[in-house]
Amino acid sequence: MIRSPLTNPYVLILPGFLLAAFIILWPLYQLGMISLNEVNRFGQLRGFNDAENYIAVFTDPDFLGALWRTAIWTGGIVIGTLLVSVPVAIILNDEFYGRSIARVIIMLPWAVSLTMTAIVWRWALNGESGMLNSGLQNLGLIDQNIQWLARASTAFPVQIMIGILVTIPFTTTIFLGGLSSIPDDLYEAARLEGASRWQTFREITLPLMKPFLNISIVLNMIYVFNSFPIIWATTQGGPANSTDILVTYLYKLGFRFGKLGEASALSVMMFALLLAFTILYVSLAMRRDSK
Amino acid sequence: MNKKLKKSLLYWLFLSPLIVLILFPFAVMFITAIKPSNEVLAPTWWPQEPAWRNFIDMWAVTNFGNALWNSVYVSVLSTMLALAVSIPAAYAMSRFRFKGQGFFRQFLLVSQMLSPIVLVIGLFRLVVWLGLLDNVNSIVFVYGAFNVAFTVWMLQSYFSTIPKDLEEAAWIEGASPAKALVMVFLPLALPAMTVTAIFSFINAWNEFVIALTMLRRQESYTLPIQIFSLVAGRYTVEWHHVMAATFVATIPVAIVFAWLQRYLVRGLAIGAVK
Repeated sequence: MIRSPLTNPYVLILPGFLLAAFIILWPLYQLGMISLNEVNRFGQLRGFNDAENYIAVFTDPDFLGALWRTAIWTGGIVIGTLLVSVPVAIILNDEFYGRSIARVIIMLPWAVSLTMTAIVWRWALNGESGMLNSGLQNLGLIDQNIQWLARASTAFPVQIMIGILVTIPFTTTIFLGGLSSIPDDLYEAARLEGASRWQTFREITLPLMKPFLNISIVLNMIYVFNSFPIIWATTQGGPANSTDILVTYLYKLGFRFGKLGEASALSVMMFALLLAFTILYVSLAMRRDSK
Repeated sequence: MNKKLKKSLLYWLFLSPLIVLILFPFAVMFITAIKPSNEVLAPTWWPQEPAWRNFIDMWAVTNFGNALWNSVYVSVLSTMLALAVSIPAAYAMSRFRFKGQGFFRQFLLVSQMLSPIVLVIGLFRLVVWLGLLDNVNSIVFVYGAFNVAFTVWMLQSYFSTIPKDLEEAAWIEGASPAKALVMVFLPLALPAMTVTAIFSFINAWNEFVIALTMLRRQESYTLPIQIFSLVAGRYTVEWHHVMAATFVATIPVAIVFAWLQRYLVRGLAIGAVK
């Protein structure tokens, strides 16, 4: 092999590695330090304080509420997306008139920034002049305006619905990739044997799709867990913190209340949680590779 | 009625609730954008007479041009930065076996999993330390770095589909690695780099948390932050201008995306199956 910087892999990966490492390791080190120190709102460290920041986070009732809602938020969106995306991907994988149009429409939310999506929904859900209320009234489905975002009992489910809507494109894409990898002759053989559609779905499609289902679940868990703009742009966690999840709570702690120590402690805990997800993902991917 | 037509009707019927939900925000954007200001708060769907002027007025009222320029600047430069470091890395990952390759792959995976929000306080200190607070270049740097994982992953899966023999043949013919790269490899890799660049561009174009944290003055706002600033914490929101702005900011990206999405499906499929 010719010797040249262009054939030395270490030279080639170094710039990318250094750039990515700098943006991750330096902030992580900072977060670790701040989380263990007493810190004022200008970020000056005032000496170690025996994990007091961590204790403060854990004993804050708002934290426990946000933690519980994060579980509902993540679980609700991941499961909801899965239930919609599996049949949608199966349909989009089949030949029918207008399939390419249907594909483009279903992928469309992916192209729009989450912030813009959330702002448009915030306006559409407006209690007095929102187009959702007037549309539902015109259809005769409701006879009184609903204050969608002013109450936690409607705001949070609606936010989860928006979350599902914007998660469908990515998930469906992964499933389409998975479905296209299943050889057609398997289905033909099953048909010759007289299997029903439901049987072929259960015995062929589902087992062969399993790695793709697993990966989409883990990846979506990570993305949804981290998702900030939908809640921030619709309610900013309100009314009365009733739609806060961990990321919005973290942002408020750090940048609104100036509690940098607690916010850093929360960041470190969230990092640990994400690392656990990542290890789960790697082990799922590895298991698939070894097959 | 033939079988395919029947199936198509059934499929469209099944997809229709989802399609209505997806298209609803676009309808809201468009209809509100063309409502005259005195009808915006009226609970009617269609305006009496469309006010196309909103699209022109919006430009000045929402500081659109300036934010658009910032968004273009940030997205282009951060994409160039990400590609400049990712192309060699992806080339190395797809062409060579070396010690530490697995570690590098896992490192990229972890950085892909970490959303900026988890690191935001540390990133904020980093940007302050670099003296780049309220400077769009800080965003270029952070977006570029966060995009490395995605761009390496996409490029690597495409690069692996380009036969290695072609370059080796050029080496044997006496071409230097640099010449082989420029004459043989890069032309073949151009489509992959273009698609990756466009997705990296869209990522940067849409990012919210980092821009919200690092940018403090209106002159440095990117589009999502500018539009967010028009609706957040205000008593009166000029919804017709805001919706005109979101519409103009959304449609070009949506068109490019609609055109590219089949490449994405293919790219993700290659990446996921490998």
